[in-house]
Amino acid sequence: MQENVNVSTGAERAAPPQPPAQPTLTPAAKKRRAVKWLTGFLFALPVLLGIVIFNFYPAIQALVSSFMHDDKFEWFYNYETMFSFDPDTFKVFGNTVFYALVSVPFGLVLGYFLALAANFKIKGISVYRMLLYLPVIIPGVASGLVFTYMFGSLAHNGAFNHILNAMGLGEWSFFEAENSSMATLIFMGVWSAGGSMIIWLSAFKNIPSVLYEAAKLDGANALQCLTHITIPMSTPLIFYNLVTGFIAALQCTTPLVVVGGRFDHMGGGAGDSLYFISVKILNEFNYGLYEYASALAFVLFAVVGLFTLVLFKTSRWVYYGEDKE
Amino acid sequence: MTRSLSPQERNRSARRQRHVIEALQYTCLTVLAIIFLFPFLLMVGQSFMPEIDFQRGLLFPIHFTLRGYEQLFAQPNYLNYFLNTVFIVVFNVVAMPLAASFCAYSFARLKWKGRELCFAMVLSTLMIPGVVTQIPLYLLFSSLGWTNTPLPLTIPNLFGGGAINIFLFRQFMHGIPYELEEASTIDGANVFQRYFFITLPLCKPILLFVAVGAFTSSWGDYFQPMFYYTDPEKYTLAVAIYKVVMLDGVSENSVAMAAGVFMSVLPALVFFLLQRKLIDGIMVGAVKG
Repeated sequence: MQENVNVSTGAERAAPPQPPAQPTLTPAAKKRRAVKWLTGFLFALPVLLGIVIFNFYPAIQALVSSFMHDDKFEWFYNYETMFSFDPDTFKVFGNTVFYALVSVPFGLVLGYFLALAANFKIKGISVYRMLLYLPVIIPGVASGLVFTYMFGSLAHNGAFNHILNAMGLGEWSFFEAENSSMATLIFMGVWSAGGSMIIWLSAFKNIPSVLYEAAKLDGANALQCLTHITIPMSTPLIFYNLVTGFIAALQCTTPLVVVGGRFDHMGGGAGDSLYFISVKILNEFNYGLYEYASALAFVLFAVVGLFTLVLFKTSRWVYYGEDKE
Repeated sequence: MTRSLSPQERNRSARRQRHVIEALQYTCLTVLAIIFLFPFLLMVGQSFMPEIDFQRGLLFPIHFTLRGYEQLFAQPNYLNYFLNTVFIVVFNVVAMPLAASFCAYSFARLKWKGRELCFAMVLSTLMIPGVVTQIPLYLLFSSLGWTNTPLPLTIPNLFGGGAINIFLFRQFMHGIPYELEEASTIDGANVFQRYFFITLPLCKPILLFVAVGAFTSSWGDYFQPMFYYTDPEKYTLAVAIYKVVMLDGVSENSVAMAAGVFMSVLPALVFFLLQRKLIDGIMVGAVKG
């Protein structure tokens, strides 16, 4: 096969692109064409096999088994259970959607201010950039360990409580109480803002400085530059960040490593205040309820799809340059 | 300002103003850096902290001990966990960039009917949340007898190495001038030679980016391995920390912190060594993505 490729591509590359309609083909040309197709196809074959075996087939199997109960078809049994009997459902979906809606914009805005600072034109700025980005590359379990400890109570020597206490602000409950867990988890997002900082920095890099010079000549101040140049020119990246951010946040499993098994459900947090869909799916899986877990996964899929669809439908504010009006 | 300044004076005051602004910028960045590093400095500090200091409510140790590390590595299977993880990481760091670039070469450089449709199908898999396929995959791999082995975490990466990576490679290859390949074709290079000797070496920035991505994701992943590892002798490091340290709990704080440090040292090292190239790569990836 390799020899064929050798011969054929050599001949065909030397020729300029041929007109599409060719009335008759010699057997040799036919063979050359087939080999060319085969070469392209074989190069892509690994990933085509991969998406069928590891994506499409399991997804279809999950869909089928979500309509089953005890290995028998019982159409909407699992979905009915989910929405009429399972007491966790609304809490779990509510928590996940709330977390996504708050944490993603919060991370974007924070990343923006961080990028402003990381864009100062001073010596050694790349070292600062690196330090601000460092928390992003710390593995989840390691940062989970640290934050579990840091948000701990005074009795557990929690660092934040020590600091707050020293400032005379008393002891805070953080992950230990139902009403403060979600806020604490979102606050933890501060330390991963380096990820969106980098994306903002690359956005800044891609904005032609001519625009700012022109604006300065017209007497624009910093705020006007931000709202009329930086933000409009960065909309494709903001959009990209929103889409990937929501998809990731809706599948968030961080509570597994920050609250672990300390409350009713594993990874559920105090009063299930941090109980997210992906974590619930894992728990149902661990109880052996594969079919129910699959149904939950499909509802999550639908939620992710809905978010993406809404983002794309409302994406008229994204500016891709003059040519693609 | 009522009094007019001499040019010299004006110059000096402008320079002073610039100095003040620069000092403010450094202060601002330093404060930010301290806030961002504080948790991890604490982790390192407390991994050397004896239990007495911890119980006295200190944040940073005043005594120094290696007990945390000793106890951590005294766990019977810790070396196994490490070796398991290293095997998975090394395999993926090599396999993912190679597989992704190989398939991307087809989508970027070879012309064949159905190419665009296939590429769209590859991208469509990005929409499927990981948990949807997780359970059927678990059933598939356990029927193959692959649980408690590194196979479920490595073998699938031979098949394309991730849709987003293929996308990044394809974008990057579009930016490489085609003339080089044409010249080598005339010199008689076949398609494999063109891929391996011409295109691949030119993809270095994105190769590095994908390889480091493969490293950090397979080194730190606990969610996927958790499905496949049930035997406490065979865990990966991340699963071991999650199950042994976090769920079961350890007696001393320094052991937990030592586990966290051990987990973070390698990614931090890789990051420090490749810092400049990596941040550029992330920017390339971000813009292209």
